[in-house]
Amino acid sequence: MFLSTVTFQFSPPDFQYAFLSILLEGMPFLLGGAILSGLLEEFLPQNLMTRFLPANPRSAVMISGLLGVVFPVCECGIVPVVRRLMRKGLPVSCGITYMLAAPIVNPLVILSTLAAFRGQAAWEMAILRFVLGLSVAVLAGWVVSYLKPEDILRDGVLIFSASEHEHHESGQRSLIDRLQNAAGVATRDFLDVAVFFVVGAGAASLFSTSVNQELILPLASNPPLAIASLMGLATVLSVCSTTDAFIAATLTTFPMAAKLAFLVFGPMLDFKLIFLYSAAFSKRFILALGIGLFLIIGLLCWRLATLNLGW
Amino acid sequence: MTVSPTIRALRDSLLLLFWGALVLWIAAEGQLSIYLHPSLQPFTITAGVLLLLLALFGFRGMFRRSSSPSECNHSCDHDHGDHVLDGHGDRESSNQATVPHHTSSHHDKIDAYLAKKRMEDADDRRVKRDHHPVHDHGDNPLPLIPLLIKTLLLLIPLMMIMTGRGTGFTITTVQNRGIIGNINNLPAAKPRSGSLPIYQNVQNSQVTSSSSFVAKDQGLGPSVQQGGTGSSTRTSGPMPAEIIDLLYAVQMPSYREDFEGKQIELVGQFVPLTTGNPRGDRFQAIRMFITCCAADAKPVGVTVQYPKPVGVSEMGWIKITGIPKFPMEGGRRTAILEASKVEECPAPNEPFVY
Repeated sequence: MFLSTVTFQFSPPDFQYAFLSILLEGMPFLLGGAILSGLLEEFLPQNLMTRFLPANPRSAVMISGLLGVVFPVCECGIVPVVRRLMRKGLPVSCGITYMLAAPIVNPLVILSTLAAFRGQAAWEMAILRFVLGLSVAVLAGWVVSYLKPEDILRDGVLIFSASEHEHHESGQRSLIDRLQNAAGVATRDFLDVAVFFVVGAGAASLFSTSVNQELILPLASNPPLAIASLMGLATVLSVCSTTDAFIAATLTTFPMAAKLAFLVFGPMLDFKLIFLYSAAFSKRFILALGIGLFLIIGLLCWRLATLNLGW
Repeated sequence: MTVSPTIRALRDSLLLLFWGALVLWIAAEGQLSIYLHPSLQPFTITAGVLLLLLALFGFRGMFRRSSSPSECNHSCDHDHGDHVLDGHGDRESSNQATVPHHTSSHHDKIDAYLAKKRMEDADDRRVKRDHHPVHDHGDNPLPLIPLLIKTLLLLIPLMMIMTGRGTGFTITTVQNRGIIGNINNLPAAKPRSGSLPIYQNVQNSQVTSSSSFVAKDQGLGPSVQQGGTGSSTRTSGPMPAEIIDLLYAVQMPSYREDFEGKQIELVGQFVPLTTGNPRGDRFQAIRMFITCCAADAKPVGVTVQYPKPVGVSEMGWIKITGIPKFPMEGGRRTAILEASKVEECPAPNEPFVY
């Protein structure tokens, strides 16, 4: 009975339509991240970030997780920014923490979660999303701090940055020339990451239009399966973190813990992001990150589901 | 086979130019509303302008580089992250970077790694510099095949846009996403304030400006005339309504009272009803509700009862005139529009509801 509802119907016009809409929606944010990356490269002094971070690596990772509150970047634009910050000397563990946390802890996402869940324990959901998202990102950062950067990063990501190169001293150049350089960096970063974004948008469009989303409904009554299935759905749909709460709130048959898993896992790892991360990280690391996030978020949400919080 | 930095810069600028131009072209044609929620459209238009600006910067950089190929004019568009250095103080700058400014072993490890990479890169560049003493102050030559593949991937969206744009989803996606018939499953939808002032005003032959979107969305033609001050006046005929209004009415008795016994007119897309339709006189009228972009669109629908053949293809746009009823069916209240007239109509300018 269940298997009979598992369908995969591919419609090329629907795929094209969804694909272009994801591109048109995500492209401004990707471009914004790339432009920010260009400006950081040109105007942010080498290693300035690390001077403001605490010497204690664990504290540094925690602070990086909270950077997203004051320095919000959505998940589409975060990869070029993090890649650039790491080139500028930000420790990889801090970069990954910021990358995972920023799409969740940013104020717009908190507000949209509150709005979407009004009448459905909105404050509890918004607070738990913030705390769980931040905690998982910090945990990931701590784990990464024990790994070698060359095991994590894609080849060439940390190639020498010549900002301190003597003939590039900012005092010797006009503002327009510095903007020219920033534009060059932004262009390169945008096109580098856009390739992965196009592939990710294609994968997300294929699954969001071709897979029968109602097939997961029978799983709603079993908490572990409900949690796992909604994390899977978040990966498939690849919805922006500022609006994913509106999708999650519609899944009324699912337990709140499963919706929380959807809201925390989706902004950290979906189809689109898997490909975007490939612009900065090794395939092995992305695979390990995906499995780790799936397990830790799944287990934490399952634990929350058993606490009977009155949702 | 490799591609020279100049060719790559030209490719980059042309890609940005094409992307920016196409985004602005779509916007100029008023087609963005087919893909995006109105709140996101300004971002996309701004991005289109910025893409053109970046392309102009790219062309400027190429021009300046070609006009003084052997000089460091500091205006090139290279990425400082991976260009061929000219060797001015490579080792010095690398050595500066090896001084750890954190006492922790964690940051030391990162810094040591960065310093090691920089030393290796500097050595690599020094070798390259020895073999290529006249540098072009651009990027390393790139392998042709990967660059071609990336370029093709970046051209796919452009080719899609050029070969034809979608105007809406087919029945396949509607079936895969499932039709929402309960307003509680649509938390992003906002109820109209008050008890349907639009309909009370309609009864007084006056549609307020706050409800003028209904007329605009549905392109209701001669029965609704747009006023010069943002208000519109309705002189006769059925009340304009949205599918979402009927779903609200199911949940809210005050809304129901406004509807019951009154003739309404709504625009939607035709979807045959294959289950729960023993007499074969029912179908569904749907609209796609979006929170962000078309990719997250959810079909919302209401059942229509109409004894005659509709004669419209699946997902075709129809204008329905009829009287809404809110009976209990299957143990719960539902909305059924008893139609007196169903006719094919053009797609509205804004196919989505928000």
